[in-house]
Amino acid sequence: MSVQTIATPVRVAGPRRRVRLEHFVMGGAVLCLIVLVVLPLCSLLLGSVRGENGMSFDNFAEVVSGRLYVNALRNSLILGAWTGLFSLVIGVSLAWAVARTDVPCKPLIQLTASLSYLSPPFLTAIAFVYLFSPNAGLINVLMRDVLGLPLLTFNIFSMTGLVLVTVLHTFPFVYLLASSALLSVDASYEEAAQILGASKLRTALTVTGPLVAPAILSGTLLAFVNAIALFGSQAIIGLPGRIVTLPTRIYALFDYPPEYGLASALSLLFVVITVVALYLQRAFLARRSYVTLGGKGARPQLMNLGPARWVLFGFMVIAFIVAIVLPYSTLIAVSLSKSWGLDFWKGLTLQNYKFILFEYNVTQRAILNSLFLATIAATVAVLLGAIIGWIDIRTRIPGRKLLDYFALIPLGLPGIVVAVALIQFWLAMPLALYGTLAILLLAYVGRYIPLGVRAANSSLRQIDPSLEESAQILGASWLTTMREVTLPLIRPGLFAGWLLVFVPVIQELSASILLFSSSSITLAVAVYNLYETGYIEPVAALAIINMVIVGAAILLANKLGGGKIASRSGATQGLAS
Amino acid sequence: MASIAINGLTKTFAAGDDAPAAVSGLELDIKDNQFITLLGPSGCGKTTTLRMIAGYIMPDAGTIHVNGRLVSAPGSVVPPDQRGMGMVFQNYAVWPHKTVYENVVFGLKVRRTPSAEAKKRVADALALVNLTGLEQRYPNELSGGQQQRVALARSLVVEPEILLLDEPLSNLDAKLREQMRVELKRLQRRTGITFVYVTHDQAEALALSDHIAVMHGGRLQQYGTPQEVYGRPANRVVADFMGLVNLVPGKAGGPGIVEAAGGLKLQVPLPDGVKTGDSVEVSIRPENIRLNASGSGPRASVTEREYYVSLDSGPALRVQTHPGQVFAIGDNVAVEIDTAQCSVFRN
Repeated sequence: MSVQTIATPVRVAGPRRRVRLEHFVMGGAVLCLIVLVVLPLCSLLLGSVRGENGMSFDNFAEVVSGRLYVNALRNSLILGAWTGLFSLVIGVSLAWAVARTDVPCKPLIQLTASLSYLSPPFLTAIAFVYLFSPNAGLINVLMRDVLGLPLLTFNIFSMTGLVLVTVLHTFPFVYLLASSALLSVDASYEEAAQILGASKLRTALTVTGPLVAPAILSGTLLAFVNAIALFGSQAIIGLPGRIVTLPTRIYALFDYPPEYGLASALSLLFVVITVVALYLQRAFLARRSYVTLGGKGARPQLMNLGPARWVLFGFMVIAFIVAIVLPYSTLIAVSLSKSWGLDFWKGLTLQNYKFILFEYNVTQRAILNSLFLATIAATVAVLLGAIIGWIDIRTRIPGRKLLDYFALIPLGLPGIVVAVALIQFWLAMPLALYGTLAILLLAYVGRYIPLGVRAANSSLRQIDPSLEESAQILGASWLTTMREVTLPLIRPGLFAGWLLVFVPVIQELSASILLFSSSSITLAVAVYNLYETGYIEPVAALAIINMVIVGAAILLANKLGGGKIASRSGATQGLAS
Repeated sequence: MASIAINGLTKTFAAGDDAPAAVSGLELDIKDNQFITLLGPSGCGKTTTLRMIAGYIMPDAGTIHVNGRLVSAPGSVVPPDQRGMGMVFQNYAVWPHKTVYENVVFGLKVRRTPSAEAKKRVADALALVNLTGLEQRYPNELSGGQQQRVALARSLVVEPEILLLDEPLSNLDAKLREQMRVELKRLQRRTGITFVYVTHDQAEALALSDHIAVMHGGRLQQYGTPQEVYGRPANRVVADFMGLVNLVPGKAGGPGIVEAAGGLKLQVPLPDGVKTGDSVEVSIRPENIRLNASGSGPRASVTEREYYVSLDSGPALRVQTHPGQVFAIGDNVAVEIDTAQCSVFRN
């Protein structure tokens, strides 16, 4: 053996405080975060208090007293409250059915929840308009004109319609959190109550309920926050029904002449609502920690529902039909028809796909732009997230917690608010970014950087620091350690994070709607504009293409991110966040 | 050849002036070609010291010199990747996404060793730790002991002057631990590398080390050969930590005499500065007490088998007898204490 007593010291240098590559990389990431999040927010704040001569709070006075704005605020809160309530009821009952009963066909619920969560809400809204718009909606026409049952018609352009469409997107938040909490409650807690003589109902109310309540409340608040931030469905369903909400009111303020000050003030009001809700959500979730303490214990005994399980099963099937089958089959049917109506099936055609894919350059451009933007934005968000997560977890740099906090801020920013902030900031800059792909990219990366940071954080936490340290002591530089050890090990987590950013960016509407120009038009904006212009059938075709892209991305990321490495290192990351 | 000089080394993790220091004023002189062990209970500062030697942690005060060259001082440390040391971690830290060969060759690649030479050195290193033939395995296909050897081979292949080992055997089962101990000692002798070994297992430290540094509460308690720290512990903490011990209270009854509790008189050398009448403690290891069915010496009765006896004059003692000698509970025995092996500490 050649291990000798005469060693070969490598590049030994005297001690000195040196600036190394990692410092540049970390500094760059911090700078990015400042430009992406901190500065636009500051200019939003500045813009809202800038008056004719110096500082003024006129904008805020107008926003909290003007009839238009108070009305929008009230509508948003009503929408959020109803949506939260229905998400709670549906989400908890489905979660309970899956976790605690012998209801058949449980994967159906999982599928319903995942697909509803992934479906862009504005596409669901459009599908429901095709079915339930007061005059031309297919089902309304069927009920009124063919079956002669006008009482069974339904006007989608109403608060009820808006809540219905929104709930389809938000109930999965409650479902996912509630079912994971229910599954992680150790059965022994419940058995301990039962052996002491508590009935099933009493056990549920006094033991299980309090254990899972924080998760359920947290899911409900997430549903609330997401519901009020959705621009698409509120514009598509709310505006024709004269229900103006905060996002659509802010959008209207950009009609010529744009009212930047009012838009900023209204945006800040919006932010306050979501931040308060998210703060409560985190507080509730923090109390949940003891649920997982049991964890490995026996699974709770499933409740035998008897024939009642078929009732529950029926409820599941209805949820599946309303949330998935109805909107998707409608969109597919519309996309294949020459003219949408009761006898649409007489003239099936692929002409609509041909039109948007090969003939109409706006939709072509929109598809390419969205693919490009989503790929770049997801990659940048994940890489930035990895660096920020690494700083937070692996270094002792002062201020790293603040950095982590800044990276989470966008969670509290509705898409349209991000757009307002970016417009405020970049209009004041000498760089003409407005209307370019670049400003959309900034919006997307800024909006979804929390997802990148979270994906990186949770992967990094699973990698013991000694794996990096052992590379370091063998002489590897920071870059080599990252390339050879850290990145390969967190790769599955990063791919999951990449997908988590890619999917919403492909269908991003809330921020894009204020930031696009004819050259930088995106998929979702094209769908919205075509819809507004009355291109019924091509819209549906574009919507289907949107979903095909999302599906392909999920398959691809699973293939790339999973595989041998993931199973070997045990660092597989769930998609659930 | 590598010597390490540690002077006044201090590190505090918590903020605030009165926060307890993880390591405080550590002085340690490690000669080259030695197997030295930092020994102490968890939280004693031994791992922090090791990580400061490696360069992962910057000291708050004090210096570390390697071969006379300053490598660590407050505000400036040579980073780990430029120290040319090796380190074996408690959890092995074998990279799960690399094969055994890729793990071991890593350090050579970093040093841009020509591939033919690298291949040969990896083969040599694997042979040294008895892993030949497992080059293409992934770590999850190896046992804990084999992973530990991969970690060793990975550190040795770059021929470091200093190898740092952080509780490398604590995750292995007892039998394997015994076997790896022998191999580690042999490796150290064969390679002449300076081993700095961290453990909380005093038997391991006694078996392996040329010198042991016993640490407690961030401070060095004693630095000496295994015989010294075991046979002549510097204080009660060391005596207690180095194995089972009876601490019998008493007071100095004159030069070389301790009057222990209950009138037991022991002839033991007193530490410097202890005056007659001072309150002291005598440490008596169980194996230095003999029980005889008859004979001279203070009488005691057996209270527990394997063995506790209660002296008629008061104190209870733990005794380790020859396995062939059997007593029953309640037997009255004569106690013989090998006072030459006892130590006295001032209270």
